[in-house]
Amino acid sequence: MFLGLPGQGMHLHLDALSLLFLGILLPQTVASAAAGMYRSGTFWAFVLGMGLTLAAADAFTLIFGFELMSAASWLLVLRGDQKPATLYVGVAIFSAACLIPAVFLHGGAVMFLLIVLGAGAKAGLAPLHFWLPRAHPAPPAGVSALMSGGMVKVALYVIIRYGFVVLGQQAQPWWGGVLVAAGAASVLIGALRAMLETELKTVLACSTVEHVGLIAVGLGIALRAKAMGDETTAGLGLQAALLCAVAHGLYKPLLFIGAGEVKHSVGTTSLNWLGGLVRAMPRLGLLMLAGAAGMAALPLGPGFAPEFLLWHAAIGAAGAGGIVARIGFTALLAVLGLGAALAIGAAVRMFGIGFLGRPRSLQAAAAEEGERGPLIGMALLAALCVPVALLPNLILDALSPVIRLLEPQAVLPPLAYAPLPLAVLAALVAVGAAFILYRYGVRGSREVPAWNGGFGKPPPWLPFGDPTTQPSATGFGEPIARAIGRGLLAPGGGDPAEVFLLTPLTRLHLRGVRLAERIRRATIRQRLAFIFMALVAFLLALGLGEGS
Amino acid sequence: MSLTFSLAHLMGGIILVFGFSLLSQRRLAAMITIYQIQAFVLSAAAFWQGYAQHEVNLYLTGLITLLIKAIALPIGLRMIVAKFNMIRAVGTAMPVLLSTIIGVGLIGVAVLVVLPSTLSAVSLTREDLAIALSVVLLGLLVMTTRRNALAQIIGFLSTENGLVLAAIGMPGMPFVAEFSVALLVLLAFLVVGVFLFRIREHFDTLDLTGLEEIERRGR
Repeated sequence: MFLGLPGQGMHLHLDALSLLFLGILLPQTVASAAAGMYRSGTFWAFVLGMGLTLAAADAFTLIFGFELMSAASWLLVLRGDQKPATLYVGVAIFSAACLIPAVFLHGGAVMFLLIVLGAGAKAGLAPLHFWLPRAHPAPPAGVSALMSGGMVKVALYVIIRYGFVVLGQQAQPWWGGVLVAAGAASVLIGALRAMLETELKTVLACSTVEHVGLIAVGLGIALRAKAMGDETTAGLGLQAALLCAVAHGLYKPLLFIGAGEVKHSVGTTSLNWLGGLVRAMPRLGLLMLAGAAGMAALPLGPGFAPEFLLWHAAIGAAGAGGIVARIGFTALLAVLGLGAALAIGAAVRMFGIGFLGRPRSLQAAAAEEGERGPLIGMALLAALCVPVALLPNLILDALSPVIRLLEPQAVLPPLAYAPLPLAVLAALVAVGAAFILYRYGVRGSREVPAWNGGFGKPPPWLPFGDPTTQPSATGFGEPIARAIGRGLLAPGGGDPAEVFLLTPLTRLHLRGVRLAERIRRATIRQRLAFIFMALVAFLLALGLGEGS
Repeated sequence: MSLTFSLAHLMGGIILVFGFSLLSQRRLAAMITIYQIQAFVLSAAAFWQGYAQHEVNLYLTGLITLLIKAIALPIGLRMIVAKFNMIRAVGTAMPVLLSTIIGVGLIGVAVLVVLPSTLSAVSLTREDLAIALSVVLLGLLVMTTRRNALAQIIGFLSTENGLVLAAIGMPGMPFVAEFSVALLVLLAFLVVGVFLFRIREHFDTLDLTGLEEIERRGR
């Protein structure tokens, strides 16, 4: 083959796991290409890198694909903005520095931890998630979509591949605990920040952190259960994680492409300047609503079934094991509940502030319907969301070969959730209610005095209404920021990982640079003195070492 | 036999003393003179070793040392001094007393390194080697403690003397190495001489402080 180590060549092999992730990758690639990225060669290099990682059968090809993906996506982020790209490339280098030694180790806990560090940094697992809300919104929408929907999945694929397949025989229960802890932290911080951020794309990126956390929690429960021989919980955890990956790979690219269209049409994605977009862009609004339903993990949406399974898995894990595990998994249930609630809040806030109500700026009022290509891509993703949302049993059946590959003895209980009859019932009720309203309701509109928080009919001198009568995105999130944010965020409202990890690292780096600069600025005599001192120190060490 | 060694050690000691006095000397003319005497003693040591080891190559080494280092280079250095009119004392970057103390410490280091690590080797040249290493380190110290470019060159040449001293004390050292080292020193001297003239043209002084100042301001 044309790549690979000299004398060994490149090995590609497609098994069920690779096929599943390639299948997750395919629709969003089509949608991103339709959204206008098909002209970019770097984009296709990015896709090629992801495909190569997924299809790799040897460590070298895997790493090659992974780094090709990183490099190409860095170039694509660089098109958007420079600072996030620099942060991103720093994290990518860190992840490479963990992964490359890891894949050439011969098993063991160190290898697993390095894999989780390297691939987890790339996937956005806490505490190495700080780059994701900055880097994902920067590039063009199609790339953001593929980074959020595809690239983090590829990183998770690496964790699954090594955690379950390569190191499957030597797995320890605490390995799963590591994944669960990191995932729970991601869920909490991602959901909270999604509730508080005001940029549409940043909200989506934070929600990605949350969903990566959910997948990691599922994987962690499964890995722990597998190591402990609890086959039912292992099956549930894997079902939850993989179904979540499938669903997230559909609605998150949809939302990102939609955000790109909003930016294209309005000129900004700051929620504080949007509003009322559903009237100007009805099709886009409808598609975004479908995506938001997935993000919120509401019943009948694509995001509910995985969360439902994850709850079952967590309850199953909480019912077994020692006292610490029981308490820990019960706390995990609380974290998952908080995460789900915050996710609903974030989705409602995103759609309600951005698309409902009155426009908050002239640009939002003058928005026009999105272009054809992106809308077609979004419609494709939304159409694929329907079977995931309404027929999760079918999807789970399709996933069972993958789960058997990861855990041959897994027990796969049937899903106790049948959304299709529910949807039919809900539709019947809705049609009946509409009919009753139509038949017996009051015709025409009535004007009532302004009581709705001042949100009445706009006065003639302010055709779009007074912007200050509408809650802003910041104001909407403020109660949450006060109630929960104070405890979880760093003082000042920053991301704790940024404040407690990134800032000290930056300071350390600055100090190193200053030191290097001082050496570089040294005069000739000082340099001579450095070399001289080094020589003397060496001689002294030699002499003392020999003498003793 | 004992006479051979005591004479060789005597000459090595003389070279070391001169290397040491190079460190405490502030005037360029005196530094050149000390260097010249050091080179003379070095060539004498080479001749003596050649006689003692019955080695023609060492005579050649001595001859080259005599011609290039004891005669040609001092003449060139004195010409530069005369040309630049540098009769006054040159600036040191460190008090002389302090550099002398450090020099003593360096000799201690050299002895500490050489004596134990060559314990298993031939005991023939151990002290010689320690002396040579001391001379090398002292030359380096001169280079780092002087601000004047010419003084640094003298330090460099003194370092090279130490190397040659080590080479002649070692039986079986190929002649080509010494020859090429000597040539290298000559070439380096020529290059640096040209360079000095350029510095002088630009800054009116050979004190490198000006150069460092320019370098700092340029950034």
